[in-house]
Amino acid sequence: MALRFEVLGRFNRARAAQLTLPHFVCQTPLFMPVGTQGTIKGLTNDQLEEIGCQIILGNTYHLALRPTSELIDELGGLHKFMNWPRALLTDSGGFQMVSLLHLADITEKGVTFQSPVDGKPMLLTPEESIQIQNRIGADIIMALDDVVRTTITGPRIEEATYRTLRWIDRCIAAHRRPNEQNLFGIVQGGLDPVLRDICVRGLVERNLPGYAIGGLSGGEDKDSFWRVVAQCTAALPEDKPRYVMGVGYPLDIVVCSALGADMYDCVYPTRTARFGTALVPEGVLKLKHQAMANDTRPIDPSCNCMVCKKYSRAYIHCLVTKDAMGSQLLSYHNLFFMMKLSSDLHASIVRGRFPEFVCKFLQKMFPEGDVPEWVCNAMEVAGIDISSCCSPFSSLPDYSNSEVPTDF
Amino acid sequence: MNWPRALLTDSGGFQMVSLLHLADITEKGVTFQSPVDGKPMLLTPEESIQIQNRIGADIIMALDDVVRTTITGPRIEEATYRTLRWIDRCIAAHRRPNEQNLFGIVQGGLDPVLRDICVRGLVERNLPGYAIGGLSGGEDKDSFWRVVAQCTAALPEDKPRYVMGVGYPLDIVVCSALGADMYDCVYPTRTARFGTALVPEGVLKLKHQAMANDTRPIDPSCNCMVCKKYSRAYIHCLVTKDAMGSQLLSYHNLFFMMKLSSDLHASIVRGRFPEFVCKFLQKMFPEGDVPEWVCNAMEVAGIDISSCCSPFSSLPDYSNSEVPTDF
Repeated sequence: MALRFEVLGRFNRARAAQLTLPHFVCQTPLFMPVGTQGTIKGLTNDQLEEIGCQIILGNTYHLALRPTSELIDELGGLHKFMNWPRALLTDSGGFQMVSLLHLADITEKGVTFQSPVDGKPMLLTPEESIQIQNRIGADIIMALDDVVRTTITGPRIEEATYRTLRWIDRCIAAHRRPNEQNLFGIVQGGLDPVLRDICVRGLVERNLPGYAIGGLSGGEDKDSFWRVVAQCTAALPEDKPRYVMGVGYPLDIVVCSALGADMYDCVYPTRTARFGTALVPEGVLKLKHQAMANDTRPIDPSCNCMVCKKYSRAYIHCLVTKDAMGSQLLSYHNLFFMMKLSSDLHASIVRGRFPEFVCKFLQKMFPEGDVPEWVCNAMEVAGIDISSCCSPFSSLPDYSNSEVPTDF
Repeated sequence: MNWPRALLTDSGGFQMVSLLHLADITEKGVTFQSPVDGKPMLLTPEESIQIQNRIGADIIMALDDVVRTTITGPRIEEATYRTLRWIDRCIAAHRRPNEQNLFGIVQGGLDPVLRDICVRGLVERNLPGYAIGGLSGGEDKDSFWRVVAQCTAALPEDKPRYVMGVGYPLDIVVCSALGADMYDCVYPTRTARFGTALVPEGVLKLKHQAMANDTRPIDPSCNCMVCKKYSRAYIHCLVTKDAMGSQLLSYHNLFFMMKLSSDLHASIVRGRFPEFVCKFLQKMFPEGDVPEWVCNAMEVAGIDISSCCSPFSSLPDYSNSEVPTDF
């Protein structure tokens, strides 16, 4: 164990904590930008520190291909290679393989795939994944899990659940640096509460430093999504961090935090920036829209980031899709937005103002009171009273992440 | 843009000629096919100035009839005289002379007679500043510096002189020695996007395999954010695969150019210009193999660079060569 997790404040299931990692002391709830290959597209390290980024996620698959984990190790680890003074987390590599490669297949040995370099058959085992991550040197490393998308049904899910438990033991055995790197287990089980429960209990028995809830954000309906998160957070230990992988949308992060999760990662903020979309309290703002062409306001008048203080919507509209600078500026703003969301969640829980924060958040996003039903249900389970921001009638379609009218 | 410092806009003519199919120059202006819908369009001197008046830059450029220096024949003479006819149309069309400075552009190819005619014609118009155009188009370096030298000798002392499309650090040092003041070029940022960094020794190609495990900064003597924060190995990993590689190299390369500019200014102000030039050349040509064109230009400029030249100088032009990667 190479971390300390200290809860500083609570509201029902939600908690604000201090997570002390070898390279940095973090405040949770927190969002981790995805740095893929040792860099966040569009931002320098100085800018990441400027906006309050605490942990960055690196993709083991991409790093292993380029520049290779051996080289990173030789040069002193990923922190030194990137010159990132704060915390790092690496994933296992398994998910990228399955989602990116043709002919990737999962067997008991590991993930078999075709090398993207020369087409040769290769195998990523739990042992190999951990060894690669040991070389990379991140503060938190992820177990290789047998991940199945929640949209799948049938015996495959059960197989994945049990295999994940067999693999966690192989990961633990292969882990050479338990005093410097924290190995998190990942709860699988699809949308099946029984399998999820089996997986949670199996992982908790192994007494790991932290736990992730995996296999979500793969297209399942929101109602199933929050219920799996709620079940897992209820069963995972109180005194260890809980990381919901692949989340995501600001609304999802607020809901999961209310249900007791602490950490999140997603490509969404930076990816959507590259498509010209900015995150704003009301939802999203599409800078490519013709109405932006002569709009002299900043992206978000209430935002204090460098982009909102310096540039107009009209200017960014002119750049998006035509110049990389457009994506860069939007990435900067979107990540600032996510960092502020993280610190607002932490601060509001510590100060005992969490329900007020949630209501204000929902009011800005759903000014007509049309909060989606799944959010209402989740908040009920979380014990947060959001009646002040919900209209009495609620049989409306899901508006989360809808485009805002551009004349607000 | 929210840019609080100065801006300069060009006339639009050069891009049209170099970028568009079926662009053609007539007395009226530059005819071209609209890249939006293919319709025939015309950029006249009047239109160019009006567009630049709307944009509002501190310095605006006259629409000139630019020909590449690699061309010979009557076209160059035509371009020289047309440029003079067009400057009058530009001056007449300029609605904001108290806020924006219209610079004339000297044309004339490599022909000293035509260049002289053009300089004198523009100087008669008493413009706020003058550019030397039509260079950096593939001409040999010996012709290049001679045209710059001739123009700087003939242009007024008390007005800025802008050599368009320059460029390489060595060229900037030479042109400054000959009396030029301003330069522009896509080179530093464009070469960054190909993974090349500007360094005192010349260039460093970050894509080179030897960079993969080189933990030094791009330039140990450079104080920029990139050299203070990142290693060659890290940038090598990024270049051509991630936009961040180009960004970091662009930052470093532009820092390099800004430092070159301020070093030129400071060394001239402090009376240390020849020492600066010698140090610059020594770093770039440690074996003393300074190209002959540079030696000739410095002689005309009255700068003694014998301390950095080897006695023998019949070597090929090494400016901007790749440095050995183990320096």
